[in-house]
Amino acid sequence: MDRLLVTVVGVVGAIVISGIVFVGANKVFDLAPRRWSVFSTVIGATSMLAVFGLLWGNRLIDQPVAVTAVATLIGGATGFALSQTSSQRAHFAIGGAVGAALGLLAGIFVKPEYWPNLNVIGLSIAVGAFLAVGLSIWAARGRRTSVVRPVLLWGSLGWTVGAFLYPALGSGTQAWTIAAATILGFGFGAWVGSFPLPDQLMRADIALGSRKYIFLIPALGFILMTLVIPLIRTIWLSLLTGLPKELTWVGFQNYIDIVKDPGIIDFSDWTDMFTSRLFIVGMLALAMALIVGLISGKQTGHRLGVNGGSLTALAFGAILIGFAFFTVVRGTISNNLWWIFAVTIFSTGAGLAIAVLTDRSKGENVAKSFIFMPMAISFVGASIIWRFMFIARPPSKNQTGVLNAIWVKIGEWSNSSSATTVVLIILAIILIGLLYLAFAGRKAHKTSVVAGVVVAAIPVVWLMYRFLGPGLGGYAEVQGQIVADPILFLTQSPFNNWWMMLVLIWIQTGFAMVILSAAIKGVPADLLEAAAIDGATESQVFWRITVPQIAPTLGVVVTTLIVTVLKVFDIPKVMTNGNFDTQVLANEMWQKAFTELNFGLGSALAVVIFLGVLPIMWLNVRRMQQQRVSG
Amino acid sequence: MTTTHTNKSSGIVESDSLTGRVSGFLGAIPTWALWFFVVVWTIPSLGLFINSFRTRDAQRNSGWWLFWQDNASGNGGLTLDNYRDVLGSSATGGLGNGMLNSFAIAIVSTVIPIAIAAFAAYAFAWIKFKGRDTLFILVVALLAVPSQVALIPLLQMYAGGAHITLPFIDKTLTIFPDLNLAGTIPAVWLTHTGFALPFAIFLLHNYIAGLPPDLFESARIDGADHFTIFRKIVVPLSIPVLAAFTIFQFLWTWNDYLIALTMIGGNRGALPATVVVASLAGEFGLQEHLLTAGAFIITVVPLIVFFALQRFFVRGITAGSVKG
Repeated sequence: MDRLLVTVVGVVGAIVISGIVFVGANKVFDLAPRRWSVFSTVIGATSMLAVFGLLWGNRLIDQPVAVTAVATLIGGATGFALSQTSSQRAHFAIGGAVGAALGLLAGIFVKPEYWPNLNVIGLSIAVGAFLAVGLSIWAARGRRTSVVRPVLLWGSLGWTVGAFLYPALGSGTQAWTIAAATILGFGFGAWVGSFPLPDQLMRADIALGSRKYIFLIPALGFILMTLVIPLIRTIWLSLLTGLPKELTWVGFQNYIDIVKDPGIIDFSDWTDMFTSRLFIVGMLALAMALIVGLISGKQTGHRLGVNGGSLTALAFGAILIGFAFFTVVRGTISNNLWWIFAVTIFSTGAGLAIAVLTDRSKGENVAKSFIFMPMAISFVGASIIWRFMFIARPPSKNQTGVLNAIWVKIGEWSNSSSATTVVLIILAIILIGLLYLAFAGRKAHKTSVVAGVVVAAIPVVWLMYRFLGPGLGGYAEVQGQIVADPILFLTQSPFNNWWMMLVLIWIQTGFAMVILSAAIKGVPADLLEAAAIDGATESQVFWRITVPQIAPTLGVVVTTLIVTVLKVFDIPKVMTNGNFDTQVLANEMWQKAFTELNFGLGSALAVVIFLGVLPIMWLNVRRMQQQRVSG
Repeated sequence: MTTTHTNKSSGIVESDSLTGRVSGFLGAIPTWALWFFVVVWTIPSLGLFINSFRTRDAQRNSGWWLFWQDNASGNGGLTLDNYRDVLGSSATGGLGNGMLNSFAIAIVSTVIPIAIAAFAAYAFAWIKFKGRDTLFILVVALLAVPSQVALIPLLQMYAGGAHITLPFIDKTLTIFPDLNLAGTIPAVWLTHTGFALPFAIFLLHNYIAGLPPDLFESARIDGADHFTIFRKIVVPLSIPVLAAFTIFQFLWTWNDYLIALTMIGGNRGALPATVVVASLAGEFGLQEHLLTAGAFIITVVPLIVFFALQRFFVRGITAGSVKG
């Protein structure tokens, strides 16, 4: 109950305060043209609250509550007094006097350890230098104001530096502290009092011109505080090393360590790629893509025909070769690249496929909801959901994870002659159906159908071969006994990486589907009709019209996915915590920074992630600029 | 798109009845394939959901698809015990407490950015000033910045305040006082707010900039200032996009793990549900059967929001990417 109360109070408090700040600021500036005295009072009080709040926050003064309260009251009263007088001289006098009084107040309460030492030479140099700068600016801008104003402003700034910031603190006298603060207060106060008296037009200008600041400063301030400045500081920290409290400069050593660490990227086994089965099958698929392309190209008159058959084989081959590469080149960066490669391709591909399917199926919206649903689930929840899918129980026990249950079941089938016969009969029927389709396509002179059938028949033939010959599924022969052989999805490197990517693909496919589906529905109907009238086949319409039309959206999906995948943290953290060769940059960064407290190396890893995102930021900026130009 | 359309263009001439039947079968393939995808996509969640009602023994001895045999095989029937244990007992870190923290984090981290971003989006859309477009593009470019680059400095700031050391004179000035925010929920609020703002400004700006200019002209002729226009015209008209952002941001902050884990860290009493469940997942072994209930509990709130307000959520996601 206690907990609930604290929560509610926190929630309500945060909301009410942010509301008051916004509405309050707008209301105050609404007052400028109509109720100048009120406006002036509030501004006076607020600015003194801000100045003394800064002193308070820096723990420079004793009795901060009382002093700040008094200063705020004086500030408000002064604002009111200034609004009631209409002579420039009176303004000047009030400003100077009140400024001196506030300076006196601050000077009396400054803590002894901050009493500044009097350093006449430093003081003279500082004031002189600032005056020189200020007066030259004043002269360069055409001497538009009386010379008193730049002298007061720049003199006071110089005084601040010379009397307080430059000299040693803590060894001065209280008398000098009070005197210096009073003079400083007088200078700034008189400067404020020397502003030209605001007429009605100026007051309206203040009310209008202030809005962009009121509207923007909170947002920009937050962004500066939580994104921009931390980003710059992270880059700085990446050049340091040591424990958080005692960081020392090392230059680029952290980056050199990252590059040299074999755990980050390890090329030593890269030649194994050429002998891996993935690579060989991938090359075969590429060769087939070429052959199918050449055959269908002959019919369409192009050198290479682009259709479903050749593109499927091409994509399949490219993916296999990519996987062959990532399974032999190991390390954190390689894992990250593999994640990007696999998740981007599969999420976009599956999303596009489902978007096309939903476009021509019944129950479109319901189906979309189900596939989109994982987007609403947390990565933590998704990781746990899939951990139960991936459970591998000892061979003697029942498999309780769906995937291993299926895998072990297939193994049982391929070891039982009756089940093998049934499976083979089913596969043969499918193969006959495909042959019939190929025959029909040949009769109708549709080479693309034939090509598609050939591509589709290959996995069927492969399955038949596995069932007849070496067998398939999760089983092993131990001393002549057939036992279950489940896949250790999460612990067996390197493919455990892939099984974890499956989780993100499961999540992100819905994202790709929703966006691509909207884009497909946006393809102009008359374009499609014109193509159909000209006799284009469905696959031609898809590859030649739909895909080019949705290409910009595909680009957006791909870039968004790449950014998401680069940052992937939750899934590896929850599923393996980077063990078993599944480390990724974000988790490595988190471990280095917050487990080992190596802020320097952690920052350097964060900068590496940032460098990966930079090209995409640049692309986004370019796209925005183009949109702005084109309206 | 109907089945006949697919038949016509799948490349097979309907010459005899067998071919006709085959092509009819082919025409139904998209629907079959789609529902195949749906089933595959749903099985993982369904399995977790069913398992969460099964006893520890049942979960360990048979797959969730055999749940209807549980009583017969002596593993105990369906039960709510997992939920009771994971919510109540302190051994699991007290997920009930974690849910409260999650609400405290998600609600405030959603409300504060809305107010701030709506004002900024309006300024970028309808107040003219020098350098507006450049500033806007800079803000939106930050959309892609990974949160990792800000975590270390932010944690330092929450723990010890932010100070700058002035150059040459070597004096330190405090910009953000040392409030000891590290390990507290407000630290998470501030972080989420900052990280959400570029997206929020971008999303709201796209919508607000597209409102008809005549509205603003006539309001200005009537003497309305920016704040009045904002309050009386922009906010009421922007309800759909505000709703879209609210849902998006609520789900985002509810589901967040990285920021809460970093900013709250060891302060167990303030951890949100995702972190509690994730740490439960880290303790392999005895508690694993509770994980099903825990994962379902942290998932059920987003799912309710999602299914109830799906339209707005989808709008938030598409507007964020298609237009940008």
